[in-house]
Amino acid sequence: RANSVGLGIDEEIKVRKARQPIAKLDEDRLLSQAGIPKLRRTAKERLRFKGKGHEYSDAARLLQFYQLWLDELYPRAKFADGLAMIEKLGHKKRLQTMRREWINEGKPHINRN
Amino acid sequence: PKAYNTVDAEVRAYVYSLVSALGGTGADEDGKYLLGDDALACLKDIKKWLKLYDEKSNRLDVARCLAEANLVNGDLLEILAAWPEEATDDKLTSKISLACLELLVPLTWPIEKSEMQMTINHHRHVPYLQLAQTEYKRRIIQHDALILRTALRIVLPSIALPQEERTSRDEGIIKLLLYFLRNVAMISVPPNLPIEGSEGEVSRSATVEAFHKQEVLALLLTVASNMGEDFNTQDTVILEVLFHLLKGVDVEKLFMDKEQMAASNSDELKSLLKKEANMHRSYARNAPTRHNRFGTMIWVKRDNARGMSAVSGQDVLTDTQHTLTKMDQSKKWDKPKQRSKDTDQSSDRFDLPISLDSSATDHLRCFVEEFLDSSFNPLFSHIRRAIEREADRVLEAHTQQFFYLVSWFLEAERVRRRKKTEALKKSRGPASKLTTDFEADSFALIASVLNQETFILLNRFMQDRLDMKSWRDVNAGTRALTQILLIVQEMAQSSLEEDQEIAENIQNRIFYEETTHDRIIAILRGYKDQGFGYLDCSTELAHVFLRMLERYSRENVDLQVRSRRRARKSKKAAARQRGDAADGEDDENASEMEDVVEAERVSRERKFDFTRFSARFMNQACIDTFVAFTRYYKDLSSEQLKRAHRFFYRVAFKQELSVMVFRLDIIALFYRMIKGPQGLDTAGSTYREWDELVRQLVKRLVKKMEQRPEMVVELLFSKIRSSVFYLENGYEEQRVEKK
Repeated sequence: RANSVGLGIDEEIKVRKARQPIAKLDEDRLLSQAGIPKLRRTAKERLRFKGKGHEYSDAARLLQFYQLWLDELYPRAKFADGLAMIEKLGHKKRLQTMRREWINEGKPHINRN
Repeated sequence: PKAYNTVDAEVRAYVYSLVSALGGTGADEDGKYLLGDDALACLKDIKKWLKLYDEKSNRLDVARCLAEANLVNGDLLEILAAWPEEATDDKLTSKISLACLELLVPLTWPIEKSEMQMTINHHRHVPYLQLAQTEYKRRIIQHDALILRTALRIVLPSIALPQEERTSRDEGIIKLLLYFLRNVAMISVPPNLPIEGSEGEVSRSATVEAFHKQEVLALLLTVASNMGEDFNTQDTVILEVLFHLLKGVDVEKLFMDKEQMAASNSDELKSLLKKEANMHRSYARNAPTRHNRFGTMIWVKRDNARGMSAVSGQDVLTDTQHTLTKMDQSKKWDKPKQRSKDTDQSSDRFDLPISLDSSATDHLRCFVEEFLDSSFNPLFSHIRRAIEREADRVLEAHTQQFFYLVSWFLEAERVRRRKKTEALKKSRGPASKLTTDFEADSFALIASVLNQETFILLNRFMQDRLDMKSWRDVNAGTRALTQILLIVQEMAQSSLEEDQEIAENIQNRIFYEETTHDRIIAILRGYKDQGFGYLDCSTELAHVFLRMLERYSRENVDLQVRSRRRARKSKKAAARQRGDAADGEDDENASEMEDVVEAERVSRERKFDFTRFSARFMNQACIDTFVAFTRYYKDLSSEQLKRAHRFFYRVAFKQELSVMVFRLDIIALFYRMIKGPQGLDTAGSTYREWDELVRQLVKRLVKKMEQRPEMVVELLFSKIRSSVFYLENGYEEQRVEKK
């Protein structure tokens, strides 16, 4: 005990609680079930357009669909901010491969070789 | 009093005693200024203090003391004012006047220091001195005794001499005066500093007014028009004076006559009021109809376990779009933004618009017209040569100013010609022909900047500054090129055969070089928060260039361009593949296969295909630049909106690449432009065009999404190059293009 005088060992160490990490909108979140998979799943049933003559209501419907999806995926960000973040993620390798895969799934099978 | 600790007391005492020894207003002479006994020596001593103390030790102390002692307003200007016209021959008084001018120039010299050069001492004095300089300027141009004119009188004997008889002292005096004029033109109200309500008195209008009244404009014309004959080294100073006189002035407004001006002003007011009413209306549409404690609350039902979100306020009842907008707005977190780099405060900025009052407009227009008629060619060719041989007097900033002024005067010339034609049409009636007495003005007045030498200089300048990322320079160069293109276009439509021929030649030269094409694309792609000025000029250049080239290649079907292969690799690869997949463009080189090294350097001609060229604009970076530009839609003029409209139209319908704009943020922007909140003015001229464009785009988008479900995901992202073709057409691209 005598040795430790002046070394500061005696002082009680204050343990600071680690901050709760802020949820991030990253690749993992985007590729999780609530992310793009859900988007692809729900789009088929939820996204219906009226077509000719209803361009603006169709556009509004489209935007609303994405806004609600994004709000659930990452409630923290405003729509425009969220879109910008996702767009940026789209340049990552992993997402690019996934995107290519999704596109290939949609391609007609006869031409695949 | 509290300022006393900023400057060494002894220095202050010396300077003050000099200033008081200089002279003063005598009470028994009814307020007339009386020179001290040794006035000339005092002036020389003050000059020495400035030089040996301030300049040598890089301080501003003496300048500060002189400002506090009110030397300029209290003494120098009074001395100059008291110099009677008939006493010009008097040796002593003219010497004293000259000494005054010698002090005025350093005291009004712009204090422009970069952050790196600033010392604590500078930080202490600069704001005070800037305010003092505005005050100097106010007194100089407002003084009853016409100070500027008096200054001209000091120099007249030297100017009157032919160049070969002038001594270096004469040349020095002329330069001194021109710098004085430059300083006066340049001083403006410092941004971010308080000033007591005298902004109008040092504004551009006041400057022009004073320059006109005191015959400075006439002197500028004399010097500029005799450049290369009686004057030689004064070109860059004249350039600076012109730059600070003309920067930011709207050419279009300058050339409006009084009625048009009045009409446009009242139109402006009317349209502004209308705009405001529109804004109010769109606000009222969404505003609550009951008091603010009415307390409506709704649920937005979700399809997942979380169930509901609550939104309050009665406005959200009206429709889902409102509800969602409100939900979005109530989010507290904002994506951190990068600080914009567009905080440049320096006086070199030329992309901030300046307004002039009507009498200043008149004077300036007269000056500009006379300048174009007499001085443009001699001055600008002289400066161009000086820049080319990198003369000592040419500073970094001069090239930028040169190209800015080139663009400004070319635009002025174009507007002037247009007004003339309009006036002629009006006076003759619409049916008559315009050809007969319109020949008088060919484009010879501005020919000095339409030659090969200027193009070379401009190209080199633009490429250089683009590589150095010196954006304001790029901006100036871009403007110049745009105006050159526009004037050439007008020349091509001239009734004079000679002009047509010249225009043809110039177009050949401009469009022939592929490096020019590449550079224009690079400038457009290069946008990354350089501010609105850059967006405006780069999109305008792209717009003008594309349209002209389109027309030109339609008329000249067998247009060739000189392309340059740079990379050795691609060359070798091409050479290897030439065996199996012979590409049309590679044929002519097939025989030279053996000397690949030579072929690398050789410039090759290749057939130009406009569609392929314009397809190069359809990349994500260029589209993003135009999107960034369109985001300012609320502040854009109808001409600018049209520019953006044409571009997106080209992308989506001419090039059939609508997939490229199918990105949610772009769709959201377009939707907001038409449907609001805060959309385009529905009465505006471009509204209909945009409405049509957006409608067509959405139509395509809906169709596309039904055809290809994978668009649901792709809508979120910029498209990958390789998938664009498939998404657009539904099948793979057959031929892999080699580049």
